[in-house]
Formats: sequence, C-alpha cells, structure tokens
Amino acid sequence: MALVARDGSIDWLCLPDLDSASVFGALIDSERGGRFVLEPELPFQASRRYLPGTNVLETTFSTSAGRVRLTDAMTLPAGELSPYRELVRRVEGLAGMVPLHWRVEPRFGYGTGKTRIERRAGAPVALGGRDALALCSWEAGEPTHDAQAITGRFSVGQGGSSLLALSGAHQEPLVLPTRADAEVRLHATVRSWREWAQAREYSGPWREAVIRSALVLKLLVYAPSGAIAAAPTTSLPEEIGGERNWDYRFSWPRDAAFTLQALLALGCAPEARAFFSWILHASRLTHPRLQVLYRLDGRAEADEQSLPLAGYRGSRPVRVGNGAADQMQLDVYGELLQAASHFASSTGGLDRDHGRRLAEIADFVCASWEQPDAGIWEARGEPAHFIQSKMMCGVALARACELAERGFLPSKHNEQWLGERERIREFVETRGYSESKQSYVRSAGEEEIDASLLLAVLAGYDEPRTPRLLATIDAIRRELGRGPLIHRYFGADGLDGEDGAFLACSFWLAEAYARQGRLDEAATLMEELVLLANDVGLFAEEIDPATGEFLGNFPQGLSHLALINAAVAIEEAQQ
Amino acid sequence: MIWGALVGGLAGTLVLTTLLRAASEFGLTRMDLPFLLGTALTGDRVRAKAVGYALHFGFGLLFALAYYAIFVVIDESGFLLGAFFGLVHGLFAGSAVVNILLPVVHPRMGTGFTAAGSAPLLEPPGFLLLNYGRRTPLATIIAHIAYGAIVGGFVSLAS
Repeated sequence: MALVARDGSIDWLCLPDLDSASVFGALIDSERGGRFVLEPELPFQASRRYLPGTNVLETTFSTSAGRVRLTDAMTLPAGELSPYRELVRRVEGLAGMVPLHWRVEPRFGYGTGKTRIERRAGAPVALGGRDALALCSWEAGEPTHDAQAITGRFSVGQGGSSLLALSGAHQEPLVLPTRADAEVRLHATVRSWREWAQAREYSGPWREAVIRSALVLKLLVYAPSGAIAAAPTTSLPEEIGGERNWDYRFSWPRDAAFTLQALLALGCAPEARAFFSWILHASRLTHPRLQVLYRLDGRAEADEQSLPLAGYRGSRPVRVGNGAADQMQLDVYGELLQAASHFASSTGGLDRDHGRRLAEIADFVCASWEQPDAGIWEARGEPAHFIQSKMMCGVALARACELAERGFLPSKHNEQWLGERERIREFVETRGYSESKQSYVRSAGEEEIDASLLLAVLAGYDEPRTPRLLATIDAIRRELGRGPLIHRYFGADGLDGEDGAFLACSFWLAEAYARQGRLDEAATLMEELVLLANDVGLFAEEIDPATGEFLGNFPQGLSHLALINAAVAIEEAQQ
Repeated sequence: MIWGALVGGLAGTLVLTTLLRAASEFGLTRMDLPFLLGTALTGDRVRAKAVGYALHFGFGLLFALAYYAIFVVIDESGFLLGAFFGLVHGLFAGSAVVNILLPVVHPRMGTGFTAAGSAPLLEPPGFLLLNYGRRTPLATIIAHIAYGAIVGGFVSLAS
C-alpha cells in the first residue's frame, strides 16, 4: 500500500509487503525517509478522488498553464511477466501544456540502509540488499540519476499521456515492464477493484462510506495468509510530538469479531473464512493463550525497537515491532469466541479441530479471568482489573456455551463455563459499576469511565437496554464525548501526554445507540462522523477534537470496521 | 559409476539450490536460478518457478554426467577433484553461461544494449552475476564447489 500526499508525493511505501521496511518513508522522516515526487513545476492546486469503486487514486493538478490528471495504482498481476511489485503513475494532459518534474528518492530499510543507483538495460535502478527498484518511464522525460535520486522533467499537453512504472524486486532479478503491459495492468487493476466493490452486499445508508471502508479493509488484507493489518503505517503519533507512536502493521486477534461481523455483512465470505482460519492457525504456537498481536505471516515475534529517525513532525520514538505483543489482555478471548459465533452462524458450523481448540480456550478463560491484565487499550502501566476485560471473558464463556449447545464445541465443560460466567457477572456487577457515576467503570474499584464499555452492548454482555447499560452509554457520551467524538478515557495509562478522540469508539457509540433502539441518536451521530473523513473518505485512528486533525496510524482498519458495523446495525434496526 | 554421478547430481543440485536459497534469504544475493530459467519458457510467475526447478534439476543431472565423462577420461575422481570442477563450473557459469549465453537465448533477458521493447525484460545478471548483489559470486561459487564435491564424492564411492 502506498500513501500519496495531497501534492502527489508518495511519502510511504513498504516493499515487498505492507510490514516490510519502507523504501519511501518521508512520512516518518522527511529528510532521510525517501519519497517519489511527481508534480507540476508551476504553482498548483490539487484535488483528489478515488476512481469510483477502486483503490486507484486520481489527483488533478490545476495550474496557470493548464490541468493534468495523475492516476496512481499499485497494480495487480496481469498480462506478460509482471514485476514482483509494481507502482504505476500515469499523467494525462487535460488542458493547456503543463511542465512537470519527478524525483524518485528510494531509501531502503526505513532510510537507514545503503542505497545504490545504477542502470540496467537502459533503466535506472536502485539497489538495497535483497531489494531493488527499477524506474521505467515513457514520455516522461529522459531519466537522469545521481547517488541520491532518479529525476526527470517533461511537459504534457491536452490529450497527451506519460507513464512511470516503479518495479520492485525482492530476492529475485528485477522485471522491467513494457508500457503496454503496465497500461494493461493498470486497466485490469481498476476493473478488478470495481468488480470486487460491486459485489458487496450493502444498499443501506452511507453506502459510499461503507464501500470505501470495505476497500480499505481489502487493501489491509495480507493475501498470502488472510491476516488483516490494523494499519499500513508505523509511528504516526497519537499526540503530535509525543511518544504514543506505535507500529500497527500487525494483525490483532481482538479485531476478529468486528472483522468477521463486517466482512460477513458485506458478503465477503472468502475473506472472513481466511481471516478466521488465519487466527486459529497463527495462535497454534501460543495456544490456548492468545497473543495480543501476530505478524502478518503468522509469526509470533514482534520485538519492538526504535529507529534513529526524526519522526512525523518530530514525534519520537519511531518504533518498529510492537511491545504490546507480550501483554496479557483478557478481552481478546471474548472477541475470538464472538467471532467464532458469527462465523458458525454464517457458515453453518465450525471445523471440528477449531471447535476443540475453542473449547480449550474457554477452559483457559475460566482459569485466567481473575488475573489483572493490560486491557483493551494496551496500557503500559501496572496491570489492573479492567471491567471491559472481565465483561469480554463473560462473553467468551457465554458464546462457548451457545456453540456447545449447537454441537459446534465439545460440551463436557459446559457447566463449568456457565458457573464461571456467573462469577464474572457477579464481579462486574458488584465491583464494576459506580452508582455515583451511573456507569460501569474502567477498572474495579475506580470511578473512571472508559469507552471500551461500549463493547458491552456490541458484544452482547447483557441485553442492550438494561438500565445499567443505558446509563453507561449516556455516561460515556457525557463524560468522554467532544461533539460527535469520543475519547477512550482520560485517566493515566503509563505514558506521558494525551491522545485524541478515538474514531472507533465514536462509531461504536453510534452502533450502541442503534442496538438500544435509539435510532435518531444513532443516525444523527453517524451523519456527523462520516463527514469527518479526509478528502478521499479515509479515517485515521484518532482525531484531535480541537483542530479536526487526524492522529495515529492511517488509514486505520478498526475505524473503518467500526464504521461498517455501525452503518449495518443502524440499517438493520431501521428495518 | 554412472549411477553414482546421477545420484551425486541430484544430491548436489539439492544442496546447491538450498545454499543459493539460503544466500537469498540472508540478503547476500537476489539471484533466483529457477526463476531465471523458468521465465525463459513462460511469463507466468508461479509456473515459471515450477518449470525452473524442473529445468534446474535437469541441468544438475546433465552437468553431473559431464563431470562423470571427465572423471572417466582422466581416470580419476573424488571429493576434492569434484570440488575443483565445481569451482571452475561456478566461475564459468557466472562469467559466460549466465552472463553471456543466457541473455542470448532467454527471450526476456535484457542486456546492456537493450532498451525497453515489446516484452518485459528481466534484469541482466552482469559479469559474475554482480548485478544481483555484490556477494552473489561468492555465494554462487561456494554452492558450485559444494555441488562438485558431492558429485565427485558419489562417483568415487560408486567406482
């Protein structure tokens, strides 16, 4: 996945995979990171859109000399021998004659590796260890290069067209494409995305936002395994200049329930099946314990380290890897069993081996729920008895019982699961509810409110309209809300600084309203939230309520998952 | 004795392939022999790898038979002699076979004189395959020495 700035510069691209080191990393270090600039030489205004129903971006530059259209795509394989990875940039003249220039500054290994630039078969190539890039261009000026960059200048008149193709190789020789093949792949890529988007089964409100979100999720799928990355970036800060900078290029089992729910609602059964199977496959090595996150290829290591980079607008450290992997987070078991329930309902059953392993996980929950944990927000302070974690343990056991009753899980421990579920409920109801706040609370014995408690409604901890859940939803809006936006919490979490409002929580609130039958509130909130997307319909992890600025990694899968599920819930409730 | 050469060729190619793959995984080279061979016959990446592995093992057996012929002519064989043959083989492969001959017969292989044409081109290997990484010659020659030693050893055992 490549991130294109509003001025047409590609400031983020990891090759060969989404979780590989960046070759264009200007996003996290504008000096050392590298980028692919392509822009008019005259002052310009730019407007952008995705080609409808695709992940192909179109940027239109307007200058005093005329207008040009830039089309950017990571192409899908088609036609003759395809490059291992290919980024195609096509420039078309719309009016007048516009002079443009381009500059490719590849910086392998997040800008910390060595990069050499040479020529092969007439094409400039950049070399960095096991990776290489070739820049093939047609009617885009004569490429020249020095030790740092490959550059070119050209002009495009009305009706004219130029093409640049960046071919990437990993542990193999480069493939230097022809213009015809690159054009074929560009067209095939547009067609393929459109066909996929048209096949999505959703005709409810906010369809455009829902389909855009589905397209984002599809981009986050690591095709070889079926894993879905949380986001394609690392260390975009939750607070500008702060230390809350994390690597999200991993897959979180926690997102399983949201993911399955969204994928199944949109008719993405193959993707749902692949993701569910991947989770159960990836977690084999740590079974019955679920690690908080796994690498996209299923490996469990996620060692965290800091890179010597400047960071996004000075936000350091820049981290790769994620230290949260080793945390104890009890809520993930509820999410997994909830996902299994969605999956079984949709497909009519569960694989026998999967059923056996899920039963063992339920046993593990029985043995573990009384321990303190790091909670859903991966707090880096001391472990605590987070109420949402306990609620999700209760959900895990409730789903295990239901699945066992339907014959999908071995039922020999059913009684134990029921008994422990009751003990969890007793704990939550006696130590997790504040009469003075009229709300469930963040952790046992505290008075703080936490937006993760919205999941009690979404995951079915209890009936949605119990007095306590109705009051909790109101308390969350009252205490954590800033306009349509919801903060996760305001208490200490073991880190300096504060983060912004969490978009997923804001969409969860809309879904919670819908599930409680508060449709007007749900629809009104949803209308406001959808308008907060950027110019091409994407959401980050968080928003600064004061400035409207995006914070955190981008685009964020969880935000888009929450959008889809909220829209679907509102549509279902309306029906 | 000829069976020794064939078994040695098979085992030697297995080791050579594994060593080159390991070198690739460790970032020493971007050379991928099965990919290079397979793309001479097909533009489909997956099929190219499968065809390439088959060709690679076929060539491994043919070269083992060539080694065998030389062993017969000089009436001597063995592990060390095989390793020496492997060294010469590796140097020859890197300097002439892959660098000069392969681009001539490979429909998708570019050379220093080629510009983009009607077919996508594979990056040319260059002298001693240096285009695929500066440590490619080292990896290639060590792998071929191992291949030669195994062929020589098996022929010696079988005779």
